[in-house]
Amino acid sequence: MKRLQRAAMLVTLAEKLRDHGSWCGETHIQKGAYLLQELLGIPLELDYCLYKHGPFSFDLSDELTSLRADKIFDQEKQPYPYGPKLKPGEMAQKVRDLSPKTLAKYEQHINFIADNLGDNDVKALERLATALYVTKEGVSGGDVNARATRLHEFKPHVPMDEARQAVERIDRLWQESAMLRAA
Amino acid sequence: MAKEFHELRDPIHVFIRMDSDERNVLNSRPFQRLRHVHQLALTSLVYPGATHKRFEHCLGVMELAGRVYDVITSAGNLHKDVREIIPENDDKKRYWRKALRMAALCHDLGHLPFSHAAEKELLPPDWNHERLTVEIIRSAEMRKIWDAMTPPLKAEDIVKLAVGEKELSKFEQISYTPWESILAEIITGDSFGVDRIDYLLRDSYHAGVAYGKFDHYRLIDTLRILPKKSESAQLLDVEQRSDFTDCETVTLLGIDEGGIHSAEALLLARYFMYTQLYFHHVRRIYDIHLKEFLKAWLPEGGFPVTVENHLEITDNEVTSAFLAASRNISAAGHIPAKRLVQRDHLRLLYQRNPDDIRRNPDAARVIYEAACKEFGPDSVQIDVYRQKSSESPHFPVLKGDGRIVWSDEESEILSSKLPILVIESVYVAQEKLANAQKWLAKKRESLLEVSLEEEI
Repeated sequence: MKRLQRAAMLVTLAEKLRDHGSWCGETHIQKGAYLLQELLGIPLELDYCLYKHGPFSFDLSDELTSLRADKIFDQEKQPYPYGPKLKPGEMAQKVRDLSPKTLAKYEQHINFIADNLGDNDVKALERLATALYVTKEGVSGGDVNARATRLHEFKPHVPMDEARQAVERIDRLWQESAMLRAA
Repeated sequence: MAKEFHELRDPIHVFIRMDSDERNVLNSRPFQRLRHVHQLALTSLVYPGATHKRFEHCLGVMELAGRVYDVITSAGNLHKDVREIIPENDDKKRYWRKALRMAALCHDLGHLPFSHAAEKELLPPDWNHERLTVEIIRSAEMRKIWDAMTPPLKAEDIVKLAVGEKELSKFEQISYTPWESILAEIITGDSFGVDRIDYLLRDSYHAGVAYGKFDHYRLIDTLRILPKKSESAQLLDVEQRSDFTDCETVTLLGIDEGGIHSAEALLLARYFMYTQLYFHHVRRIYDIHLKEFLKAWLPEGGFPVTVENHLEITDNEVTSAFLAASRNISAAGHIPAKRLVQRDHLRLLYQRNPDDIRRNPDAARVIYEAACKEFGPDSVQIDVYRQKSSESPHFPVLKGDGRIVWSDEESEILSSKLPILVIESVYVAQEKLANAQKWLAKKRESLLEVSLEEEI
């Protein structure tokens, strides 16, 4: 995917997350993009690794800064100790207008992510994205308890029952999104 | 009786004092190699004074790390909500001070010849100079030195502090305690990392570019460890509403409000040094020609990643090679070598600017591709650099009344948003420059017209 096509995807994701009431800080974009790529198979071409709070792409983090330079994204500063929110910038509509085919092809995918993640706080996003990460690792052939244990090993502050719920939720989302992956 | 402490003269910090353990590291083979690695690559081709080396920079970083440690752990400077993260035991405090200074001394051991020049393209995937630094600190050669210290230092502690959580996480599963995070931030921090403080001051001094100066004495004196959990914001609320980039971190490195002007000066110094020195267009194209030469000259087009092979190659070997290649028409990398030696670098044709970006967000790329078609790809180059997220810092400030606020709430200068640096430059061969300029003047309007995507 070309840089401007990806920018159009990301800024549309941000807008839809906000429409669903999301705080829409960098973590929300990070985890949303991770699920777009790894759950729904959209080729955003972002490298993710497991960082402090689950899967994280340093490339995406840098890209979001760069997109602010291009005025495709903008920041809303928040009082201490809150982190900034992200919102579409003055050039957002222009990049969307330049990538109509990409956005038409992936509109439902973005809607799916925004519908399911829009009201999630960062803790829930961390659990969910890490559950997908351990699922993609292929832990014990997909056994729920084994994946929950693995999640808990990575993130000891996530209790086992919440880890299990996150893994089960990923399995549900995987089933519900089967049509989108096939599209 | 042998001296316990040793002094080195330094143009930036006047005296750098080190103990015998630190001197043993200085005398080690990996550290002595840094005498032969330029801090600013080929910048001396543009700024003749900029010939300083990683060696003295690392000494400076060690000196500053020790000063910062002493300030932020001083009893009178400790915020009541952060005391629990500081080791209570004096032996532990001494251990961590020593580990911090050692990490600062070693933080650049993995630099390739000519420092940063294109390491992403010249190393295997997932390798960078930080990972090489880690390999060297863990090497048998360095472990012997760590084990012989009093008390012995753990290589893993030095690794964590030298490289920082962000970089280490890129190639290892790792977790940091809040104390380790703060110590790593002293060296690698986005806002007040002593690596940056030293390189701005040192590069400015050697290049003769006054923009890099600021009152680092005042700045360091006002640094504080500040809590994330302020009385005005319940942690639960932060966790539920905010963003991980700013929540859940127990502490951050910030400043007392008395240091806000020196912090402003630091951030402005950094901005101007980037625009005036680090991103000087001629310096950047020399980096590109050096990369072209290295890709052609190095076996398999890249640097080795074993510690032994890494230690064997410095700027001296590379310089010797490109001087020879520039004289031998059949040598690998002859053309870029000649460009370096004969100052026959490509010339600037186009630079990104706000007006063009508003019309076409991909302006530089469009012009580059059209120029390649017109003048041939061997005669045209594009240079792209986009500021990293870590280079857009904001930090907490402790107010006189005990409140903590973000720096951009406290400072009008910092809230006015320094531009995010993006470099997009198109270069063309000197002999084609005049024609290229005429071509661009004629074609510019049509090139900047945007077109809808043709493919997904």
